[in-house]
Amino acid sequence: MNNNQKETKINPEKGKALSSSKGIREEILNIFKKALADDIFDAVMIPAKVPNTDAYSWILLQDESLFEMADPLPPVMAVQGGRALSSFSKNGELDLKIAALMRPCEIRAAVELFKLHQINLNHITLISIDCPGATPLTDYMNDPKKLAETYKKISEKWEVSESLRPACQNCHRFSLIDGTAADLHIGLLGKNDKVTLIPISSKGNEILEKLGYEPTDSLEEWKSNREKLLKEKIKNREKFIKEWQEKINKTDGFFNELNKCINCHNCMNACPICYCQQCYFDSQNITFKPETYLQKSKEKGALRFPLNTMLFHIGRMSHMVLSCVSCGACEDACPVSIPVGRLFSMVGDQTQKEFDYIPGMNREEPLPLQDFKEEEFCEVETPNECEEKVTEEAK
Amino acid sequence: MNKNIGVYVCECGPNIPERIDIDKVVNEISSMDEVKTVKKYSLMCSNDGKKFLKQEIEKEELTHVVVAACSPKDHENTFMKVCEEAGMNPYLFQIVNIREQCAWMIPDKEEATSKAIQYIQAGIHRVLFHEPLEKKELEINVDALVIGGGISGIEASLSLAGPKRKVHLVEKTDSLGGMAGKLSQILPHQGSKIKSVKEKIEQAKNNENINISTSSEVKEIRGFLGNFEAVIKSTPENGEEKEQEIKTGAVILATGFDLFDLKENPAYGYEKNENIVSALEFEDMINSEKIVLKNGKKPKSVALIHCAGRKEKGYCSKVCCLYNLKFAHYLKDNFPDIDVKELYMDLCLPHKQDQSYFDQAKEKGVEFIRMDEVVKTKSSGDQVEIEYKDNDKTDKLKADMVVVAPAMVPSKDTSHLAELLNLPLDKSGFFKELHEMLDPVATPMEGVYITGCALGPKNIPESMTQSHATSGKILSSLIPGRKIVPEVKVSKIKEELCTGCQTCLSVCFYGAISYDPFKGVSVVNEAICRGCGNCVGSCPSGAIHSKHFTYTQLYQEVLDALR
Repeated sequence: MNNNQKETKINPEKGKALSSSKGIREEILNIFKKALADDIFDAVMIPAKVPNTDAYSWILLQDESLFEMADPLPPVMAVQGGRALSSFSKNGELDLKIAALMRPCEIRAAVELFKLHQINLNHITLISIDCPGATPLTDYMNDPKKLAETYKKISEKWEVSESLRPACQNCHRFSLIDGTAADLHIGLLGKNDKVTLIPISSKGNEILEKLGYEPTDSLEEWKSNREKLLKEKIKNREKFIKEWQEKINKTDGFFNELNKCINCHNCMNACPICYCQQCYFDSQNITFKPETYLQKSKEKGALRFPLNTMLFHIGRMSHMVLSCVSCGACEDACPVSIPVGRLFSMVGDQTQKEFDYIPGMNREEPLPLQDFKEEEFCEVETPNECEEKVTEEAK
Repeated sequence: MNKNIGVYVCECGPNIPERIDIDKVVNEISSMDEVKTVKKYSLMCSNDGKKFLKQEIEKEELTHVVVAACSPKDHENTFMKVCEEAGMNPYLFQIVNIREQCAWMIPDKEEATSKAIQYIQAGIHRVLFHEPLEKKELEINVDALVIGGGISGIEASLSLAGPKRKVHLVEKTDSLGGMAGKLSQILPHQGSKIKSVKEKIEQAKNNENINISTSSEVKEIRGFLGNFEAVIKSTPENGEEKEQEIKTGAVILATGFDLFDLKENPAYGYEKNENIVSALEFEDMINSEKIVLKNGKKPKSVALIHCAGRKEKGYCSKVCCLYNLKFAHYLKDNFPDIDVKELYMDLCLPHKQDQSYFDQAKEKGVEFIRMDEVVKTKSSGDQVEIEYKDNDKTDKLKADMVVVAPAMVPSKDTSHLAELLNLPLDKSGFFKELHEMLDPVATPMEGVYITGCALGPKNIPESMTQSHATSGKILSSLIPGRKIVPEVKVSKIKEELCTGCQTCLSVCFYGAISYDPFKGVSVVNEAICRGCGNCVGSCPSGAIHSKHFTYTQLYQEVLDALR
């Protein structure tokens, strides 16, 4: 697998604004129809509403007529896009040029999977889009029509509503133009009804050229609207982190949140980052013999079991939290409504900070555990020298 | 299979019984169902002790043995050998350290005894899960591939080549000799010319066991000690480009050095004034016996500047002080009235004859001036004016000709070869030896060695020594007719659990793991693997296990030890 993708990053100063008289959805779909017709892509990966149902699914489409069912921003996130993409782009090279339109957290998950050799991006163009969030899966499934309407209202106004998933309420990476994750970005925060195509990589630039869309329109308004929303979301996120740190720091705070866990492993199955063929916690390594149960019960007087419920969460956390993109797929999937997405997002946030790493932001940035820096965690490794260094820098 | 476990508690002379109640230990252990026999012995590692153990294994028909004694680093191998001689698989053996880990550190006898019992129980439960690992024997190729045809590479080739061992010597330029071949004279014998290097080159060319490829580079190389495969690409000026694939047993990197680009520091005025030359250019002048200025006249004064590039690179290049003295002596001997000044930051005169060489130069009238740095050089009439700083004091001097001694830097091919062979480089870009003090010519890749200036600045005798060292290592490890036995306690990847994320690959220090793109999984090369276990820890799905440190083995041991 050739992972030598060296797309050069451009600092987007200009984009291509398309006015959507037919509405934003139509405008976006038209871009893809044109790209397919002009042979710029051979296939497009995009969410779609399954006909005659309320369900949403990913489709890989080559037939223009099927665009009818496509929806770039569905009211729910059914299967996490990164996970979906890895199902067909792992081994070998594809000779189809594919465009994948996904939400920013899905794009970032895809980039993390790329670093783990689970996705080959050579023939894939990643297209991100300004994301207003999504509604909780269970709420939607209980009353699809109502939630679809609610979603339409709040997404049009970019409202940070409580009807959105907690992950989305606390998300501050809803518009991906920093870093080298996506090739092309679809900006929706510009003037009303305007869809702005913003090239992020040289590949993205190429595609705009082929489409005949010269990036000559100003991004000023889009940038300023984005800044406003970003400020609000960052405040939200900081509040969320602080609130949850306090919750967890209470005695047994962490375990209390996970008390309801029924050990179904749905969270792990829904998570895009969990890529193992077989989870360590489903393997032979974590099976306990009957004698062990009885022995522990004898030793402790009483035994809560199955034995590895908490271990599963801590273990999964230690395995994937550095790549956690806070997409909340895990929380959507939990049958007993454990705030597992929020837990992992908060811990992820803190641990990623220690490594100065934002998962999925930059394709060239190596994963922290696969990279060696001679000077790291000096406060732990060489505390005496570190003090001197810190005071030196302070001077 | 019936598991007959024999447990032997060694008293280690007086060491252990002083602090541990051996009889109590024997008593407790004998009550374990899994144990067939448990006995104590005074000194197990003695000849009598080893004989005793062998007899026990045969008499009791033991399948597993646990010896409670000293540290595994002391006698694990000793007892494993005994097991092997007695017809038992040596890997069904476990040593339990009740000396360093119990007797020697717990003052309370009761506590020490109970801990020893726990540890032995842990060892017994562990050994039950050991696998009867088998040693492998691999056929080897004893030839060597020497990359770099300078003096280091030539010397290594000469000391290795023989009727049973061929050497492939690959040189990227069209002639052998490297940098040493460009010198006018070799220190310390002022008199002898470059003859000795030329003699070495001739010896190499005439040696029928050395296969020389000039104008050639190594394009690909893969494998391990005794089993390397390399592709050599030759692009001769008057001839066809060709590629040859060779099999070899070891690789010696002798890629030498380049010189610091004097243009990087404009203070030296190099290329601005034609009478400012580099040391190598001055060597050329001596070789052609024409020391003249650009206007054709002989110089009446020469300034030799040391340490160019030392601050930029951060290290001293060791050889320049000596060759500058060589230049000074040459000038004084051949141009009696010539004025010679040497500007230096520090003097490096470590060898036996260096001090007297320096004293003699002073006696001949060479002036030595200490400085912190050269501030700038400029033309002053026909001469060159050098402005230099010493401790905040600036001074100037004029000379007809200026010779600047540049630092030695890694040759351009170093980084490319390091990538090809997955070798580390130090922060200056030279190859990094396995251990600076204790293993100075080896690399983490077994079978790949480095000699000469490819490792860092050094003089010719040091390069010779290193070349002999690399040859020594190869001569003793690749013996014609013998097979090599690679590490047994290696890692193994379960294909059905591997998802090909290559995390293990990125943490393997020895390059023992490769990715199979066809199957989409990573694979451990058991001949290169040293059993360090880095990969085992890095795999999130637990697809890799160490053959002698499996999860179950460790879990059983820890379970008992922590009870």
